[in-house]
Amino acid sequence: MIEELLALAQWHNLRFLWQGLAVTLQISVLTIIFSFLLGTVLGVMRYSGHWLLSRLAAVYVEGFRSSPLILLVLLFRFTTPLKPVNSGTLAMSLFTAAIVAEVVRGGLNAVDKGQWEAARSQGFSWIQILRYVVLPQALRKMIPPLIGQFITVVKDTSYVWVTGVEELTGKGVIILGQYGTASQFFAIFGLIGLIYYLLCWGLQRFGLHQERRMSWLTM
Amino acid sequence: MKRVLGLMLSAAFLLSVLAGCGGASKSSDSGSSGTLPAQVQKIKDRGVLKVGVKVDVPKFGYKDAAKNTHEGVEIDLAKRIAKEIIGDESKIELVGVNAKTRGPALDNGEIDLVIATFTITEERKKSWNFSDPYFVDNVGFLVKKDSGIKSWKDLNGKKIGVAQSASTKKALTEQATKDGIKVEFMEFATYPEIKAALDAGRIDSFSVDQSILWGYKDDTNEFLPEKFAPQEYGVASKKDNTELAKFVNDLLAEMKKSGELDKMFEKWGLK
Amino acid sequence: MDRFAAFKWQALFTDWRIFVDGLGRTASTAGLALLLSLGLGVLFGMLATSPYRSGRSVSRLYVSLIQNTPLVTQIFFLYYALPHLDVVLPTPVVGILGLGFYHGAYMAEVFRAGIQAIHRGQLEAGLSQGFTYAQTMRYVILPQAAEIVLPPMTNQAVALIKNSSILAMISGGDLMFQADSWSASTGYYGPAYLTVWLIYFSLCFPLARLAKHWEEKSARSRSGEVKAA
Repeated sequence: MIEELLALAQWHNLRFLWQGLAVTLQISVLTIIFSFLLGTVLGVMRYSGHWLLSRLAAVYVEGFRSSPLILLVLLFRFTTPLKPVNSGTLAMSLFTAAIVAEVVRGGLNAVDKGQWEAARSQGFSWIQILRYVVLPQALRKMIPPLIGQFITVVKDTSYVWVTGVEELTGKGVIILGQYGTASQFFAIFGLIGLIYYLLCWGLQRFGLHQERRMSWLTM
Repeated sequence: MKRVLGLMLSAAFLLSVLAGCGGASKSSDSGSSGTLPAQVQKIKDRGVLKVGVKVDVPKFGYKDAAKNTHEGVEIDLAKRIAKEIIGDESKIELVGVNAKTRGPALDNGEIDLVIATFTITEERKKSWNFSDPYFVDNVGFLVKKDSGIKSWKDLNGKKIGVAQSASTKKALTEQATKDGIKVEFMEFATYPEIKAALDAGRIDSFSVDQSILWGYKDDTNEFLPEKFAPQEYGVASKKDNTELAKFVNDLLAEMKKSGELDKMFEKWGLK
Repeated sequence: MDRFAAFKWQALFTDWRIFVDGLGRTASTAGLALLLSLGLGVLFGMLATSPYRSGRSVSRLYVSLIQNTPLVTQIFFLYYALPHLDVVLPTPVVGILGLGFYHGAYMAEVFRAGIQAIHRGQLEAGLSQGFTYAQTMRYVILPQAAEIVLPPMTNQAVALIKNSSILAMISGGDLMFQADSWSASTGYYGPAYLTVWLIYFSLCFPLARLAKHWEEKSARSRSGEVKAA
């Protein structure tokens, strides 16, 4: 068993996995940023109650939310001329944006309506109230579910492997194809699982830290 | 501040996505002394030939993790075509594809050509242009050494792992009907997954073109003696890219006549 | 637009049985996995709120492990790695167990939050009446928690149905796999993916609606609730 594991633990294998990790991180970061921005816009659209904006956002949100991510990833791979990494990132971003939109909407709803009245009486416009008064307060409530969703984003990057993108899981599977014994299998899965675990756990700690920071500020 | 940063990053993202979208074509400054047909000229102007190749088939298209290289006879062929069109064999972008993604990648314009152990079939000819064959292979089988399976007929009632969208499933179904046996197929997206399934005992045999199987042969498995269904590999292009298809085909014919093609394959110990 | 050409749709309708088979597999896998996840959710939710340190630790370990690793990794592990220990679970079972344990962790969190939302006084009252911890849970706390828990639980069910598509990655015969397999051999991925999207939508959207309805109903009834001193 030891020889098998030693055969596995070669520098080029680790480098191979590292390349996969880099892709995973790239997709995750871009998806998180893009979905947060788009999701916030959509959430505000829904919250606004505007007859058109609200409906458009609703259609988008429900449409993307009710679809499996694998389906979207495959669909975008085959219908857009983008490189697989990018079509996968796009699919994940649009999907996650729909979920973020709902979180944002919930967060906005949770802010006391009195804030609106108070700010309105001070002469602020709707956009200004949103930007300076309501959103900041909503943000704090939104952090736990958002962090949870972003953790899921990191995990879901593994779905992009179905289109041939060599992210961490993909690299792991390719290595699997070269080695065949039990201990090697477990070693590879163990290592990959550990890496994902550390990534997600790290994100969770970051989220907790941010949440604590924000509640201290609004005290 | 955070907001500005976020906007900048999203702008950067959008730009990088759009840049991947087929890209702004940089027209070369040389006055085109074009004896090249329009479609081919477009590639020359763009400055890079995009070719879909395999990454997991030793000798054909293989990304070697140890040596950190991407090499194989199909990659040599791709480079040769790039040299012919653009004049420089390094002006090439190799995109890793598998059986499932190579066709759609052609359709959506992601790549110009596919040189990825792509078997020519009548049905596929309806969707894409194929050159004349540049290699012929057969479908083979890998089984675990201790499985007790010694021949094709032993696979009656057993599970065979194939790659999705590969021509293997159809070829085997036909052969099975002819020989009066029944087999069950399990489909996977990539070859490593089929190999892992074989190792795990989820399938009884891994079947695909022999040359691809060589990449997965190890001490625990062995080949079955049978080899069926000659598979002719061709260079594929999008259906409406007929000029490019003809160009490639003419080049191939030239290479066959001059013996260059044979030399290319001999270098890899093939043919 | 020839991705959606008429003859491709025709081919799809001729082969409709393949898709119905897939839908059946999706429904059965999701249904059984849902039951498993509910059971695990209640169990670990109760453990997480139990007065026993070991129970809370076990629950935390389970949730943390499952929630911080991808479903793909877990399923691949069950499918490719376990057989090397001579544990070869049939593919549908891999799906049910994988999905069940994965969503069980999320359900556990839902139940934990639900149980903790019930006022502590309820637990004390129950215990003072001579109920054991388990009995108090069963007759006093859980029924009340059920109302709070229903919306997020339904949302998890929706997520589970969507995640059942992971069977496509292990040749699992579900709806997504059939769409993939069929479109791989015919090349007609346009109609296949669109149709499958519609089917998933018609499964998930009503459930999501229902969850929202319950959420609003619960919010209304709770806003009128008099908070105990």
